[in-house]
This record gives sequence, C-alpha cells and structure tokens, in this order.
Amino acid sequence: MSDVQAETPTVADFARTFRRIQAEIHKLIVGHEQAVEELLSALFVGGHVLIEGVPGTGKTTLVKTLGLALNLSFNRIQFTVDLMPADITGTRVILSGDDGRREFTFQPGPVFCHILLGDEINRATPKTQSALLEAMAELQVTVAGTTYRLKPPYFVMATLNPIEMEGTYPLPEAQLDRFMFKVRLNYPGEGELTRIIASTTGPEEAGIEAVFHATEAPGRIEALKRLVRGVMVAPAMETYAARLVRTTQPQNSRFVTDEAGAVHDEMVNRYVMFGSSPRGAQALILGAKVHALLDGRANIAREDIEYVAVAALAHRIILNYAALSDGIDAAHIVERVIKSVRAGKL
Amino acid sequence: MRLNSLALQHAIFYTLAIAIAGGTAVFAGAYLLSPLAFLIGTSALAVIGCAGIASAVGAAWRMRASAVRAAAIADDRAELKGRLSTIVALANHQARGSLWAYLVEDTLGHQDQFAGAVIERRRVSRAIYPLAGAIVLAMLAIPISKIKHAPQIASGSGQDDLTVDLDDLHLRPADSGDESGMQVMADAATMRRLEDKLAREGAANGEASGNSLNQLVNRARDMAGHFQNKLTGQQAASKQRLNLRLADAGGDQDQKEIHRAPETPKNRHSDVAGQFKQDQPNSNREIDLPREDDSRQPDSKPSPSGYGEQGAEADAGKDNPGNQGNSATDHKIQQSGENGGNGGAAHGMGADPDSLFGAPAAAKLGTEGFEIAIEARPVDHGAKGAGHAYVAPKVRAPLSVTQEPDEPVARAAVPAEDRTTIKRVFER
Repeated sequence: MSDVQAETPTVADFARTFRRIQAEIHKLIVGHEQAVEELLSALFVGGHVLIEGVPGTGKTTLVKTLGLALNLSFNRIQFTVDLMPADITGTRVILSGDDGRREFTFQPGPVFCHILLGDEINRATPKTQSALLEAMAELQVTVAGTTYRLKPPYFVMATLNPIEMEGTYPLPEAQLDRFMFKVRLNYPGEGELTRIIASTTGPEEAGIEAVFHATEAPGRIEALKRLVRGVMVAPAMETYAARLVRTTQPQNSRFVTDEAGAVHDEMVNRYVMFGSSPRGAQALILGAKVHALLDGRANIAREDIEYVAVAALAHRIILNYAALSDGIDAAHIVERVIKSVRAGKL
Repeated sequence: MRLNSLALQHAIFYTLAIAIAGGTAVFAGAYLLSPLAFLIGTSALAVIGCAGIASAVGAAWRMRASAVRAAAIADDRAELKGRLSTIVALANHQARGSLWAYLVEDTLGHQDQFAGAVIERRRVSRAIYPLAGAIVLAMLAIPISKIKHAPQIASGSGQDDLTVDLDDLHLRPADSGDESGMQVMADAATMRRLEDKLAREGAANGEASGNSLNQLVNRARDMAGHFQNKLTGQQAASKQRLNLRLADAGGDQDQKEIHRAPETPKNRHSDVAGQFKQDQPNSNREIDLPREDDSRQPDSKPSPSGYGEQGAEADAGKDNPGNQGNSATDHKIQQSGENGGNGGAAHGMGADPDSLFGAPAAAKLGTEGFEIAIEARPVDHGAKGAGHAYVAPKVRAPLSVTQEPDEPVARAAVPAEDRTTIKRVFER
C-alpha cells in the first residue's frame, strides 16, 4: 500500500506519488507516457480529459487502470445514440418503503462517482452529452429541481473515436471547452506493441496496486490538488500564457478586439476560425503547475507552459475548411503559436 | 549592477566610437573630397552618426536591468527555470502561498549557479571593440593630413611668372572667402580691355545665374570650402602668389585711348567677384567691393557655359581632390607699377631698378590699378577627367606705336613689402 503518508504533502511527496501512480498505470499501459502524465495532471488540478484515439489503443484500459491505482470509485458509461440524460445523471423513481408507502426517490446515475469514463462520448446525442456539462463544470447535478453535489475528487474522462464518424455527434464546442486536456493516443510503436503482446497474452495479468487506501484516497488527492494550486506563478508567466491564448485567436475574427502589441500569426489568421477561450489559459497555468512540481519546483517556467500547450489548447481551436483541405491540425497551430510568441520576445 | 554598468558602457563606448569614426571620416573627407562632395558626405555622416548614437543609447536603455529583468537574465543563463524571477516578482506580494519558503530554499540551493560572475563574466562591454576600431581608424587617418599638406601649385614648374593673352583669359567669379591671389601685370590699355571683359562676362554671368538652386549650391560649396579649410588648415599654405602678366595681342589698334573710362556702376560692380581697386590722381581712393557677398549675388554667379575651356577646367580643377585649398583661389589682378597718367606697356620698362625707391614726389602723377579675382592658374596635375593641366601660352606683347617708352615716373612712397615685387617687375 501507499507510503505517501504525509498529511500536508510536500513537493517531493507530490512527485513521488505522481510517479507511483504512473508506474502502476504503466504496468498495464505500454507507452503513452505523455498521455498518462497529462491525464494525471488533469486529475490533480481538478480538470477533465478527452481522450482521442483509434480503437484498440487502450483508452478504456487506461481509465480503468487509473481508477484502480487511485483506489477511487469508478463508473463507466457507454455512450450510445439512444442514451438519455437521465441515464447519466440519475432520475427519480417510485420506490416502496418498508411501510408500503410509495414515494419518488432520487436514484443517482453513473455520474455519481470519483472517476467517470464516458466511452465514445460522440455517439450520444448532444442533449445527452450536455448532461455532463453541469457535473463537469460545477461538480453538481440538478434533477427535478433538486441539486446534488458530487464528491470530490471528480474526474471525467471521455473517449472519442476519430474514425467511424457516421452516426456520431461531434461534441459541442462548449462541452469541448470544459475538458482541460485533450489527450491523443496514437498507435504504439513496434517495441511497445511487442511489450503489449507479451504482457497481455500470458497466463498472468499484471496486478495493479492501489497507491492510496480507499478511505483516504479522496483526502490525499485533494491535498495534492491544493499543493498544486499553491505553486507560484510570476506575472511574466501569466502574461506569457495569456499571450499564447491570445495568439490562437485570428485577427480577422469579429470576436477579437485588436490591441497594441498583440502577436499575430499568419497561419492562425488563415486556418483558425475560433481560437482558444480563457479556459485555455487556465488550463495552461494549471498544467504547468503540475509539471513544475514534478520537476521539483514551486514556480512555473515558460517550459512548463509550453509542455502542456498542445494538450491544453489544441481542442479549443476551431479550424476552418482551409485547414482541413490543407491537412493542418490544431496541434500544428499551437506549435506555430508558441514559436511566434517566443519570437515576440515577451 | 554589472549589467547596468555594461549597459552604460555600451552607450558610452558606442557614442565615442561613432563620434571618433565620424570625425575621422569628416577629417579625411576634408582632404580627399571636393567641397560639394564633402558637404554631402558630412551631412550624411551627421545623420547616420546621430541615428547611430540614438540607436546605441536606445539599445543601452533596453539593456538596463531592473531587478526583475536581471532575475530573468539570471534564470535564462543559469537555467534556473524561473526561480529567481518568481522570487523577485512575488517578494512583495501579500499572498505568496505555502510554497514560498520552499521556493526560496530551493533557489538558494542553486546559489552557486547565479553568482554575478557566473551570470555575467564581462566587466567591460563588447562595445569596446568598435571604440578601439574607431581609434585605430583615426590614427590611420593622421598620415592623410601630412600627405595632403603638400603645396598644390606647381611651384617647381618655373611658372611663378606667367604671361597670358587677354583673349585667352576666361573669367569667373571668385569663391568668397578665398583671399589667396595672383598678381597680374599689364599695361593700362590691356587693363581697360580686361575691365571691359570683366564687365561683359560679369553681365553674362549675371544673366545666367538666376537659378536659385545654383545659388544654393554655391553657398553650400562656399560653406563646405570654409569648413574644409578650417579643418585642413591648408588655405594659408596653398596661397602662393603668382605673377600673371597680361598681354593684349589683338587690341593694339584700338588702344589709343588709354585713359581710364569713367567709372560706371557696371565696371564698379563686382560681377566678376573680387576686388577692384582704382587709385585716382589726387584722391588715391580705393574701391573695395565686397567679395564674399557679391559672389553670392545671383547676378554674380558664374555661367558654366561662359567659362570656356579654361573656366571649365578651372571648375574641374576645383573639384579635383588634389586641388583642395586652391580650388577657390581668386587671383588678384593688380596693375603693377605706376604711370604718369598715361600709363602703358612701357611703364617701368627700362627703369633702373636700383633707383626705384627714392623720396616720394610731392603729388601723385596718377596711378590706376585694380585687383580682380580670376580662376586661372597652373596646377601640378590635371583636373579629374580633364587630362593634362592647361598652361597658358607665354605671349610677349609688343609696344603700341602710340605708346611712348620710359617716361619719368614720379616717385612715390612704396611700401616695403611691395618693393621686392616692384623691383622684380622692373628688372624685366
């Protein structure tokens, strides 16, 4: 069991715990180191993650393994086109009491847990997808006029299948924006594939050891989340993150007000329809804080921001048809934006 | 502290380097360039120099390091990943958070990485190199002044005393401020014709010189010439008096009237810039027309086409770098000797040089003479692109039949400094 016992965790405790969870996950998940790190980073700052990957790349396994390693309550929803919002949030049902009286009782849906996996979320209708909005953003669910609080830590991971687009409903931008990171799981390399074969086709399956006790896990994780929030950010770093986000917004957008000293990138102007929202800047800083703690620092640096920039901003950038026709994806735009802002010598 | 010191050094060194290099260029230009080119070059240098200094100061201003910037530099150079910047930025912040102590302690653990000597090893700005280069350049330019101090007139050519025909003489206004000159000797009739020629060509020049642009160019050239002369100090050295003997080969027949024509505004006018001095009997008055001002009058400006070959050559010679200091030479034409009211080519000829200077006569018998600036002199090398220098042919003017040789000349008090010259004239 866990050797992470400190009530008030230190920077070293955080890094050690984080590495331990990573190690447990990688007992089952081969490769995808950065994806796992981003996943955990989102967990420790209270964000949610959208996982995009082709079938068979371990999306569901990754989430299940995380739940096991953290020893937190874990639910899974397989999104289908006929899934209703009440199937997610829960609903009021008529139950008979011991005294024979029947009354409406709220039956919590799968959203009431610590870790929620929404598998193939783009197969559900937008109405159902939106049922997650309140839970993700405010950690509460309102059913029949009654609001129910969710217990922290609350962590939603949704998976997207980028192929098989027929019969799917792309996530609304508003919901996309509520995911802190979008993590992409690519096909494993040959070496990783060999390891996957070896570890999953043998007589024994790798056992995942929980890092926390079930009872103390939520408290520990909340303590670590507070530690992450305590990482200091110099004003220059806030400005840098703001400028990165600002640069993702095309100059010719009617929603963008031009301002002196703003950095404009030609590629952004050509290919981006809508840039990142302010949530992108928040995601940049929070993700950078985790990365700084992992590096043993209590302050964030420019490198930390850039490390999480693609994961934090790419899914918030809406590209136009020119980008699609030219084969430009949002990750390219983010990398280009980083170069432009760096050249601007903030 | 060290960063700010370097920034200050940057500004000072670059300013000095620009000033020294610019001064050197101006100094060299004064020797090597024509006045107009010198003016343009100096102006361009001044603009570039000012821009360079402003740029250097601006760069130094941007290089100055506040505490936050110094911390950022230290972070970058010592790879502290923003530790120092964060500490400096949040030092006075109220809500520093629970990790402040950790941050400070962590940063102190890297203390050896951000020591001043590690972050910035230099104590002297790299701007010292441009400054050293400028100083070397200035030292290299010193020999230019020595080389170019050599006299420009071909004194070794044996042409201190030239005889030219009046018809071959083309006149142009002298450049103002040039007081070097040439002594011109001629008989009274020739001087009359010269005077008429001056008036004619002066009028022609006046008509042709209405262009205000040319006037401005002339002014600029004058100004640049003054400046060059001040810089080089060559003017005095290059002023070499040359005796120019004027002859009038074609005017003998109509020279019976040798008395001076009445003074008219036209012939008084210094259209041909220079000095016109006339000594009337009994009055001994001297007319010194302003040289500098008149040369700047629109009607006194030279017409390039009116200069003729000599004038053009003189102009070209003026632009020749090798003729600096002499280019604006106005040669004073002065009627030498004194005549007894009827003057002539025989004036002084045959007189005993030993008895030239005696007690002055009670009354002056009459003298006339004038000084005029002309642009004609031998040079040791030709104008740029003009081939060989033009040397006026030596012409001996015979006496007119109406002229009488050697009349007694009333003695006058001759200034001591002119006696040698007069003596040389009479010795011929």
